[in-house]
Amino acid sequence: MPERFVSDPLELPEHDQKADFVRAELQFYGVDHSGLSYEARVFVNRPEADRETALELGEDGGYAGSFHVFGHGGCFGDVGHCDVPQAPRPTYDLRLPHPLTPQTKTVIITEALRRARGSGAAEVTVTVVADVYDHEGLPLGREVGEPLRFDSISLLTYESPPPLPPVSEQEAERPPGPPD
Amino acid sequence: MNTPATAHAHHPAGSRKPLLRHRKNVELLRPPQLAALQQAFARVIEISQNQVTDNRGFQHFAGIHGMPQWLCQHGDAPGSNPLFLPWHRAYLYAFELSLRDQVSDAALVWWDWTSPASHASGIPAAFAAPEAEGKPNPLFKAPVQPAARQNDQPTETFRRPRSPGELPTAERIRQIVSLRSFADFTTQIEDVHNRVHGWAGGTMGIVAWAAYDPIFWAHHTNIDRLWRTWQLRHPQNFPPSFLNRALPPFPLTVAQTLNMKSLGYDYASSSAHVAGTNA
Repeated sequence: MPERFVSDPLELPEHDQKADFVRAELQFYGVDHSGLSYEARVFVNRPEADRETALELGEDGGYAGSFHVFGHGGCFGDVGHCDVPQAPRPTYDLRLPHPLTPQTKTVIITEALRRARGSGAAEVTVTVVADVYDHEGLPLGREVGEPLRFDSISLLTYESPPPLPPVSEQEAERPPGPPD
Repeated sequence: MNTPATAHAHHPAGSRKPLLRHRKNVELLRPPQLAALQQAFARVIEISQNQVTDNRGFQHFAGIHGMPQWLCQHGDAPGSNPLFLPWHRAYLYAFELSLRDQVSDAALVWWDWTSPASHASGIPAAFAAPEAEGKPNPLFKAPVQPAARQNDQPTETFRRPRSPGELPTAERIRQIVSLRSFADFTTQIEDVHNRVHGWAGGTMGIVAWAAYDPIFWAHHTNIDRLWRTWQLRHPQNFPPSFLNRALPPFPLTVAQTLNMKSLGYDYASSSAHVAGTNA
Protein backbone atom coordinates (compact mmCIF):
# COMPACT_ATOMS: atom_id res chain seq x y z
CA MET A 1 0.00 0.00 0.00
CA PRO A 2 1.53 3.32 -0.98
CA GLU A 3 2.05 6.26 1.32
CA ARG A 4 0.56 8.36 -1.45
CA PHE A 5 -2.83 8.15 -3.15
CA VAL A 6 -4.29 9.92 -6.18
CA SER A 7 -8.05 9.73 -6.62
CA ASP A 8 -10.09 9.41 -9.74
CA PRO A 9 -11.55 12.76 -10.80
CA LEU A 10 -14.38 14.14 -8.70
CA GLU A 11 -16.88 16.28 -10.58
CA LEU A 12 -17.49 19.76 -9.30
CA PRO A 13 -21.16 20.50 -8.49
CA GLU A 14 -23.46 20.66 -11.49
CA HIS A 15 -25.33 23.73 -10.32
CA ASP A 16 -24.34 27.15 -11.56
CA GLN A 17 -20.63 27.20 -10.91
CA LYS A 18 -20.79 30.95 -10.42
CA ALA A 19 -22.78 30.37 -7.28
CA ASP A 20 -20.31 30.79 -4.49
CA PHE A 21 -20.43 27.91 -2.07
CA VAL A 22 -19.64 28.95 1.46
CA ARG A 23 -18.04 25.69 2.40
CA ALA A 24 -16.53 22.70 0.69
CA GLU A 25 -15.26 19.59 2.37
CA LEU A 26 -13.77 16.23 1.60
CA GLN A 27 -15.02 13.32 3.62
CA PHE A 28 -12.81 10.27 3.84
CA TYR A 29 -14.84 7.21 4.75
CA GLY A 30 -13.67 4.02 6.39
CA VAL A 31 -10.29 5.33 7.49
CA ASP A 32 -8.24 2.59 9.14
CA HIS A 33 -6.48 3.63 12.33
CA SER A 34 -5.22 0.30 13.58
CA GLY A 35 -1.58 0.89 12.69
CA LEU A 36 0.76 3.86 12.63
CA SER A 37 0.01 7.50 13.41
CA TYR A 38 0.38 9.88 10.50
CA GLU A 39 -0.67 13.13 8.91
CA ALA A 40 -2.57 12.79 5.64
CA ARG A 41 -1.84 15.88 3.54
CA VAL A 42 -4.53 16.64 1.00
CA PHE A 43 -3.91 18.37 -2.33
CA VAL A 44 -6.39 19.34 -5.01
CA ASN A 45 -5.42 18.96 -8.67
CA ARG A 46 -1.80 18.26 -7.82
CA PRO A 47 -1.38 14.58 -8.76
CA GLU A 48 2.39 14.88 -8.51
CA ALA A 49 2.32 16.18 -4.91
CA ASP A 50 4.60 14.41 -2.48
CA ARG A 51 6.10 14.95 0.96
CA GLU A 52 8.25 17.78 -0.35
CA THR A 53 5.32 19.76 -1.78
CA ALA A 54 4.73 23.06 0.01
CA LEU A 55 1.97 23.19 2.63
CA GLU A 56 0.90 26.78 2.12
CA LEU A 57 -2.82 27.35 2.17
CA GLY A 58 -3.90 30.03 -0.26
CA GLU A 59 -1.01 29.50 -2.64
CA ASP A 60 -1.15 27.83 -6.02
CA GLY A 61 0.39 24.59 -4.82
CA GLY A 62 -2.95 22.90 -4.40
CA TYR A 63 -2.55 22.20 -0.69
CA ALA A 64 -6.02 21.99 0.82
CA GLY A 65 -5.48 20.83 4.39
CA SER A 66 -4.86 17.59 6.20
CA PHE A 67 -6.25 15.06 8.61
CA HIS A 68 -4.41 13.18 11.32
CA VAL A 69 -4.64 9.54 12.33
CA PHE A 70 -3.89 8.56 15.92
CA GLY A 71 -2.92 4.95 15.37
CA HIS A 72 -3.33 2.04 17.74
CA GLY A 73 0.09 0.62 16.90
CA GLY A 74 -1.02 -2.74 15.54
CA CYS A 75 -2.83 -5.64 17.10
CA PHE A 76 -1.79 -6.80 20.57
CA GLY A 77 -4.50 -9.31 21.40
CA ASP A 78 -5.21 -12.92 20.59
CA VAL A 79 -6.61 -14.01 17.25
CA GLY A 80 -9.83 -12.09 16.59
CA HIS A 81 -9.09 -9.32 19.07
CA CYS A 82 -8.75 -6.73 16.33
CA ASP A 83 -11.56 -7.94 14.07
CA VAL A 84 -14.24 -5.29 13.88
CA PRO A 85 -17.67 -6.96 13.97
CA GLN A 86 -19.46 -6.43 10.69
CA ALA A 87 -22.99 -7.44 11.67
CA PRO A 88 -25.36 -4.76 12.98
CA ARG A 89 -25.68 -4.84 16.72
CA PRO A 90 -28.97 -5.68 18.37
CA THR A 91 -30.53 -2.72 20.14
CA TYR A 92 -29.87 -4.24 23.56
CA ASP A 93 -26.11 -4.30 22.92
CA LEU A 94 -25.01 -1.10 24.61
CA ARG A 95 -21.32 -1.86 24.69
CA LEU A 96 -19.01 0.81 23.34
CA PRO A 97 -18.03 0.53 19.68
CA HIS A 98 -15.10 -1.70 18.78
CA PRO A 99 -11.98 0.47 19.21
CA LEU A 100 -10.87 -0.18 15.65
CA THR A 101 -14.15 0.76 13.97
CA PRO A 102 -13.05 2.66 10.84
CA GLN A 103 -13.42 6.42 11.10
CA THR A 104 -14.70 9.26 8.97
CA LYS A 105 -12.34 12.21 8.50
CA THR A 106 -13.50 15.61 7.29
CA VAL A 107 -11.15 18.15 5.71
CA ILE A 108 -12.61 21.59 5.00
CA ILE A 109 -11.20 22.69 1.61
CA THR A 110 -13.32 25.73 0.78
CA GLU A 111 -10.55 28.03 -0.43
CA ALA A 112 -8.65 25.35 -2.30
CA LEU A 113 -11.77 24.32 -4.19
CA ARG A 114 -12.61 27.93 -4.99
CA ARG A 115 -9.18 28.33 -6.52
CA ALA A 116 -9.62 25.15 -8.53
CA ARG A 117 -12.99 26.31 -9.80
CA GLY A 118 -11.57 29.75 -10.52
CA SER A 119 -8.97 28.19 -12.77
CA GLY A 120 -11.76 26.69 -14.88
CA ALA A 121 -11.61 23.13 -13.60
CA ALA A 122 -14.77 21.05 -14.04
CA GLU A 123 -13.43 18.27 -11.90
CA VAL A 124 -10.70 17.76 -9.36
CA THR A 125 -8.40 14.99 -8.31
CA VAL A 126 -7.45 14.51 -4.70
CA THR A 127 -3.90 13.57 -3.82
CA VAL A 128 -3.25 12.35 -0.30
CA VAL A 129 0.31 12.08 1.00
CA ALA A 130 1.08 10.36 4.29
CA ASP A 131 3.68 11.78 6.65
CA VAL A 132 4.21 9.07 9.25
CA TYR A 133 5.22 10.13 12.74
CA ASP A 134 8.25 8.81 14.58
CA HIS A 135 7.58 5.39 16.12
CA GLU A 136 11.17 4.30 16.48
CA GLY A 137 11.76 2.21 19.57
CA LEU A 138 8.16 1.11 20.00
CA PRO A 139 7.24 -2.60 19.98
CA LEU A 140 4.42 -2.35 17.46
CA GLY A 141 1.85 -5.12 17.34
CA ARG A 142 0.87 -7.51 14.57
CA GLU A 143 -0.75 -6.46 11.33
CA VAL A 144 0.66 -2.96 11.23
CA GLY A 145 -0.27 -2.10 7.68
CA GLU A 146 0.77 0.86 5.60
CA PRO A 147 -0.93 4.18 6.23
CA LEU A 148 -3.63 5.66 3.99
CA ARG A 149 -6.12 2.84 4.05
CA PHE A 150 -9.65 4.12 3.54
CA ASP A 151 -12.77 3.16 1.61
CA SER A 152 -13.77 6.23 -0.38
CA ILE A 153 -13.84 10.01 -0.64
CA SER A 154 -16.78 12.37 -1.08
CA LEU A 155 -16.59 16.00 -2.14
CA LEU A 156 -19.39 18.03 -0.57
CA THR A 157 -20.21 21.69 -1.12
CA TYR A 158 -22.70 23.89 0.66
CA GLU A 159 -24.30 27.08 -0.58
CA SER A 160 -25.08 28.01 3.00
CA PRO A 161 -23.61 26.72 6.25
CA PRO A 162 -24.69 23.18 7.06
CA PRO A 163 -27.87 23.71 9.06
CA LEU A 164 -28.07 22.58 12.63
CA PRO A 165 -30.47 19.63 12.60
CA PRO A 166 -33.39 19.45 14.98
CA VAL A 167 -32.59 17.61 18.16
CA SER A 168 -34.47 14.49 17.13
CA GLU A 169 -32.30 14.13 14.04
CA GLN A 170 -29.01 15.24 15.45
CA GLU A 171 -27.66 11.77 15.96
CA ALA A 172 -27.95 11.11 12.27
CA GLU A 173 -26.08 14.23 11.22
CA ARG A 174 -22.81 12.37 10.72
CA PRO A 175 -23.59 9.67 8.21
CA PRO A 176 -21.96 6.30 8.86
CA GLY A 177 -20.85 5.93 5.28
CA PRO A 178 -20.74 7.54 1.89
CA PRO A 179 -23.92 8.62 0.16
CA ASP A 180 -25.39 6.26 -2.42
CA MET B 1 -17.05 42.99 56.70
CA ASN B 2 -19.57 41.10 54.60
CA THR B 3 -18.36 37.96 52.94
CA PRO B 4 -19.71 37.06 49.47
CA ALA B 5 -22.46 34.53 49.99
CA THR B 6 -21.06 31.99 47.57
CA ALA B 7 -17.51 31.99 48.80
CA HIS B 8 -17.78 30.00 52.00
CA ALA B 9 -21.41 29.01 52.34
CA HIS B 10 -20.84 25.28 51.94
CA HIS B 11 -17.41 24.98 53.42
CA PRO B 12 -16.85 22.84 56.42
CA ALA B 13 -15.61 24.67 59.43
CA GLY B 14 -11.98 25.60 59.08
CA SER B 15 -11.83 25.12 55.31
CA ARG B 16 -10.66 28.09 53.32
CA LYS B 17 -10.55 26.51 49.88
CA PRO B 18 -12.68 27.71 46.98
CA LEU B 19 -15.60 25.50 46.05
CA LEU B 20 -14.24 24.87 42.58
CA ARG B 21 -10.81 23.67 41.69
CA HIS B 22 -9.30 25.57 38.79
CA ARG B 23 -7.18 23.95 36.16
CA LYS B 24 -4.50 26.38 35.13
CA ASN B 25 -2.12 27.16 32.30
CA VAL B 26 1.07 25.21 32.92
CA GLU B 27 3.09 28.21 31.78
CA LEU B 28 1.63 30.36 34.57
CA LEU B 29 1.81 27.93 37.48
CA ARG B 30 3.16 29.29 40.74
CA PRO B 31 5.92 27.17 42.31
CA PRO B 32 3.68 25.70 45.05
CA GLN B 33 1.08 24.74 42.44
CA LEU B 34 3.67 22.99 40.31
CA ALA B 35 5.08 21.31 43.40
CA ALA B 36 1.62 20.00 44.32
CA LEU B 37 1.18 18.56 40.83
CA GLN B 38 4.60 16.93 40.92
CA GLN B 39 3.95 15.47 44.35
CA ALA B 40 0.58 14.08 43.29
CA PHE B 41 2.01 12.44 40.17
CA ALA B 42 4.91 11.05 42.18
CA ARG B 43 2.51 9.60 44.72
CA VAL B 44 0.16 7.86 42.26
CA ILE B 45 3.18 6.50 40.37
CA GLU B 46 4.58 5.21 43.65
CA ILE B 47 1.28 3.51 44.50
CA SER B 48 1.48 1.54 41.26
CA GLN B 49 5.12 0.67 41.84
CA ASN B 50 4.16 -0.75 45.22
CA GLN B 51 1.15 -2.63 43.84
CA VAL B 52 0.39 -2.37 40.14
CA THR B 53 -3.21 -3.48 40.58
CA ASP B 54 -4.05 -0.70 43.05
CA ASN B 55 -6.86 1.25 41.41
CA ARG B 56 -5.70 4.50 42.94
CA GLY B 57 -2.42 4.29 41.08
CA PHE B 58 -1.10 5.80 37.88
CA GLN B 59 -0.87 2.49 36.04
CA HIS B 60 -4.53 1.79 36.65
CA PHE B 61 -5.56 5.06 35.04
CA ALA B 62 -3.04 4.95 32.20
CA GLY B 63 -4.14 1.42 31.37
CA ILE B 64 -7.76 2.44 30.90
CA HIS B 65 -7.03 4.44 27.74
CA GLY B 66 -4.92 2.04 25.69
CA MET B 67 -3.28 -1.18 26.73
CA PRO B 68 -4.47 -3.23 28.46
CA GLN B 69 -8.08 -2.02 28.80
CA TRP B 70 -8.60 -0.16 25.49
CA LEU B 71 -11.61 1.82 26.65
CA CYS B 72 -10.79 5.20 25.10
CA GLN B 73 -13.24 6.68 22.64
CA HIS B 74 -12.05 8.27 19.42
CA GLY B 75 -13.59 9.02 16.07
CA ASP B 76 -17.08 8.10 15.01
CA ALA B 77 -19.63 6.45 17.21
CA PRO B 78 -21.96 4.74 14.75
CA GLY B 79 -25.51 5.93 15.24
CA SER B 80 -24.53 8.57 17.77
CA ASN B 81 -22.59 11.75 18.25
CA PRO B 82 -18.91 11.08 18.89
CA LEU B 83 -18.00 10.24 22.47
CA PHE B 84 -14.45 11.57 22.21
CA LEU B 85 -15.00 14.76 24.23
CA PRO B 86 -17.32 13.51 26.99
CA TRP B 87 -15.37 10.28 27.49
CA HIS B 88 -12.07 12.10 27.92
CA ARG B 89 -13.70 14.66 30.22
CA ALA B 90 -14.83 11.81 32.45
CA TYR B 91 -11.34 10.32 32.26
CA LEU B 92 -9.65 13.55 33.35
CA TYR B 93 -12.20 13.99 36.10
CA ALA B 94 -11.55 10.55 37.59
CA PHE B 95 -7.78 10.88 37.37
CA GLU B 96 -7.73 14.38 38.84
CA LEU B 97 -9.74 13.22 41.84
CA SER B 98 -7.25 10.42 42.34
CA LEU B 99 -4.40 12.95 42.26
CA ARG B 100 -6.23 15.09 44.81
CA ASP B 101 -6.81 12.10 47.05
CA GLN B 102 -3.03 12.09 47.45
CA VAL B 103 -2.32 15.84 47.40
CA SER B 104 -5.40 17.90 48.09
CA ASP B 105 -4.16 21.06 46.38
CA ALA B 106 -3.20 19.36 43.12
CA ALA B 107 -5.12 20.09 39.93
CA LEU B 108 -4.57 19.18 36.33
CA VAL B 109 -2.94 21.80 34.14
CA TRP B 110 -3.42 22.67 30.49
CA TRP B 111 -0.76 22.85 27.84
CA ASP B 112 -1.62 25.45 25.23
CA TRP B 113 0.40 24.15 22.31
CA THR B 114 -0.47 27.28 20.31
CA SER B 115 1.36 29.60 22.72
CA PRO B 116 4.50 31.50 21.69
CA ALA B 117 6.45 29.57 24.32
CA SER B 118 5.29 26.23 22.91
CA HIS B 119 6.10 27.31 19.37
CA ALA B 120 9.57 28.26 20.57
CA SER B 121 10.35 25.37 22.90
CA GLY B 122 7.76 22.62 22.39
CA ILE B 123 6.96 20.57 25.49
CA PRO B 124 6.52 22.89 28.51
CA ALA B 125 9.46 23.08 30.86
CA ALA B 126 7.45 21.57 33.72
CA PHE B 127 7.09 18.36 31.68
CA ALA B 128 10.37 18.53 29.76
CA ALA B 129 12.86 18.77 32.59
CA PRO B 130 14.29 15.36 33.57
CA GLU B 131 14.73 16.52 37.14
CA ALA B 132 12.83 18.70 39.57
CA GLU B 133 14.27 19.85 42.88
CA GLY B 134 17.19 17.49 42.43
CA LYS B 135 15.00 14.42 41.99
CA PRO B 136 13.57 12.66 38.93
CA ASN B 137 10.71 14.76 37.59
CA PRO B 138 7.49 12.67 37.70
CA LEU B 139 6.08 14.82 34.89
CA PHE B 140 8.94 13.95 32.52
CA LYS B 141 8.28 10.26 32.11
CA ALA B 142 6.53 7.35 33.80
CA PRO B 143 6.82 3.57 33.88
CA VAL B 144 4.72 1.35 31.60
CA GLN B 145 3.22 -1.65 33.41
CA PRO B 146 4.10 -5.19 32.27
CA ALA B 147 0.53 -5.79 31.08
CA ALA B 148 1.00 -3.02 28.51
CA ARG B 149 4.33 -4.20 27.11
CA GLN B 150 5.24 -6.34 24.14
CA ASN B 151 8.41 -8.37 24.47
CA ASP B 152 8.95 -6.43 27.68
CA GLN B 153 8.92 -3.07 25.88
CA PRO B 154 8.43 -0.20 26.45
CA THR B 155 9.35 -0.15 30.13
CA GLU B 156 8.84 3.60 30.39
CA THR B 157 7.55 6.48 28.30
CA PHE B 158 9.63 8.52 25.90
CA ARG B 159 9.00 11.25 23.34
CA ARG B 160 10.38 12.15 19.95
CA PRO B 161 8.92 15.61 19.40
CA ARG B 162 9.07 17.33 16.05
CA SER B 163 9.95 20.97 15.52
CA PRO B 164 7.94 23.28 17.81
CA GLY B 165 6.90 25.27 14.77
CA GLU B 166 4.80 22.31 13.61
CA LEU B 167 2.44 22.54 16.59
CA PRO B 168 -1.11 23.79 15.86
CA THR B 169 -1.56 27.52 15.49
CA ALA B 170 -3.85 29.83 17.42
CA GLU B 171 -5.54 30.77 14.15
CA ARG B 172 -6.45 27.14 13.52
CA ILE B 173 -8.00 26.89 16.98
CA ARG B 174 -9.94 30.13 16.46
CA GLN B 175 -11.41 28.64 13.29
CA ILE B 176 -12.43 25.46 15.07
CA VAL B 177 -13.96 27.21 18.07
CA SER B 178 -16.08 29.28 15.68
CA LEU B 179 -17.72 26.16 14.19
CA ARG B 180 -21.37 26.01 15.15
CA SER B 181 -22.34 22.36 15.35
CA PHE B 182 -21.06 19.92 17.92
CA ALA B 183 -20.38 17.30 15.25
CA ASP B 184 -18.23 19.77 13.33
CA PHE B 185 -16.38 20.97 16.41
CA THR B 186 -15.62 17.57 17.86
CA THR B 187 -14.40 16.22 14.52
CA GLN B 188 -12.00 19.09 13.93
CA ILE B 189 -10.70 19.42 17.49
CA GLU B 190 -10.08 15.68 17.62
CA ASP B 191 -8.01 16.01 14.48
CA VAL B 192 -5.85 18.68 16.13
CA HIS B 193 -5.59 16.39 19.14
CA ASN B 194 -4.37 13.58 16.90
CA ARG B 195 -1.80 15.92 15.40
CA VAL B 196 -0.31 16.81 18.79
CA HIS B 197 -0.09 13.14 19.76
CA GLY B 198 1.82 12.46 16.57
CA TRP B 199 3.96 15.54 17.00
CA ALA B 200 5.09 14.41 20.46
CA GLY B 201 5.99 11.00 19.03
CA GLY B 202 7.31 8.01 20.96
CA THR B 203 4.81 6.54 23.38
CA MET B 204 2.58 9.64 23.10
CA GLY B 205 2.16 8.96 19.40
CA ILE B 206 0.38 5.62 19.68
CA VAL B 207 -2.97 4.93 21.35
CA ALA B 208 -1.61 1.87 23.13
CA TRP B 209 0.78 3.86 25.37
CA ALA B 210 -0.14 7.54 25.08
CA ALA B 211 -1.79 7.88 28.49
CA TYR B 212 1.31 6.59 30.27
CA ASP B 213 3.11 9.81 29.37
CA PRO B 214 2.39 12.55 31.93
CA ILE B 215 2.15 15.16 29.15
CA PHE B 216 -0.93 13.27 27.90
CA TRP B 217 -2.91 14.73 30.80
CA ALA B 218 -1.89 18.33 30.09
CA HIS B 219 -2.64 17.83 26.39
CA HIS B 220 -6.12 16.46 27.06
CA THR B 221 -6.83 19.08 29.68
CA ASN B 222 -6.25 21.66 26.95
CA ILE B 223 -8.66 19.82 24.65
CA ASP B 224 -11.20 19.82 27.47
CA ARG B 225 -10.64 23.54 28.02
CA LEU B 226 -11.21 24.25 24.34
CA TRP B 227 -14.45 22.27 24.50
CA ARG B 228 -15.43 24.41 27.48
CA THR B 229 -14.65 27.54 25.45
CA TRP B 230 -16.74 26.24 22.56
CA GLN B 231 -19.61 25.31 24.89
CA LEU B 232 -19.81 28.87 26.18
CA ARG B 233 -20.14 30.21 22.65
CA HIS B 234 -22.42 27.58 21.15
CA PRO B 235 -25.01 26.17 23.55
CA GLN B 236 -26.41 22.95 22.13
CA ASN B 237 -29.32 20.64 22.65
CA PHE B 238 -28.67 16.93 22.39
CA PRO B 239 -31.07 14.02 22.04
CA PRO B 240 -31.67 11.91 25.15
CA SER B 241 -30.13 8.88 23.51
CA PHE B 242 -26.80 10.73 23.40
CA LEU B 243 -27.15 12.38 26.79
CA ASN B 244 -27.92 9.06 28.43
CA ARG B 245 -24.90 7.24 27.02
CA ALA B 246 -22.72 5.74 29.71
CA LEU B 247 -18.99 6.40 29.60
CA PRO B 248 -17.44 3.24 31.01
CA PRO B 249 -15.62 2.65 33.25
CA PHE B 250 -16.58 6.00 34.75
CA PRO B 251 -19.81 6.49 36.73
CA LEU B 252 -20.98 9.26 34.42
CA THR B 253 -23.26 9.70 31.45
CA VAL B 254 -22.66 12.17 28.64
CA ALA B 255 -25.20 14.52 30.25
CA GLN B 256 -23.24 14.55 33.47
CA THR B 257 -20.12 15.75 31.67
CA LEU B 258 -21.69 18.78 30.03
CA ASN B 259 -21.55 21.04 33.07
CA MET B 260 -18.02 21.10 34.42
CA LYS B 261 -18.98 22.98 37.54
CA SER B 262 -21.13 20.08 38.62
CA LEU B 263 -17.94 18.04 38.36
CA GLY B 264 -16.25 20.54 40.66
CA TYR B 265 -13.82 22.29 38.36
CA ASP B 266 -13.39 25.14 35.93
CA TYR B 267 -10.59 26.73 33.96
CA ALA B 268 -8.48 29.78 34.72
CA SER B 269 -5.19 31.01 33.35
CA SER B 270 -3.79 31.34 36.83
CA SER B 271 -5.04 31.61 40.37
CA ALA B 272 -4.04 33.03 43.71
CA HIS B 273 -5.87 32.64 46.96
CA VAL B 274 -5.81 34.26 50.38
CA ALA B 275 -7.79 33.74 53.56
CA GLY B 276 -10.70 36.05 54.35
CA THR B 277 -12.11 37.48 57.55
CA ASN B 278 -13.25 34.13 58.89
CA ALA B 279 -9.74 32.74 58.92
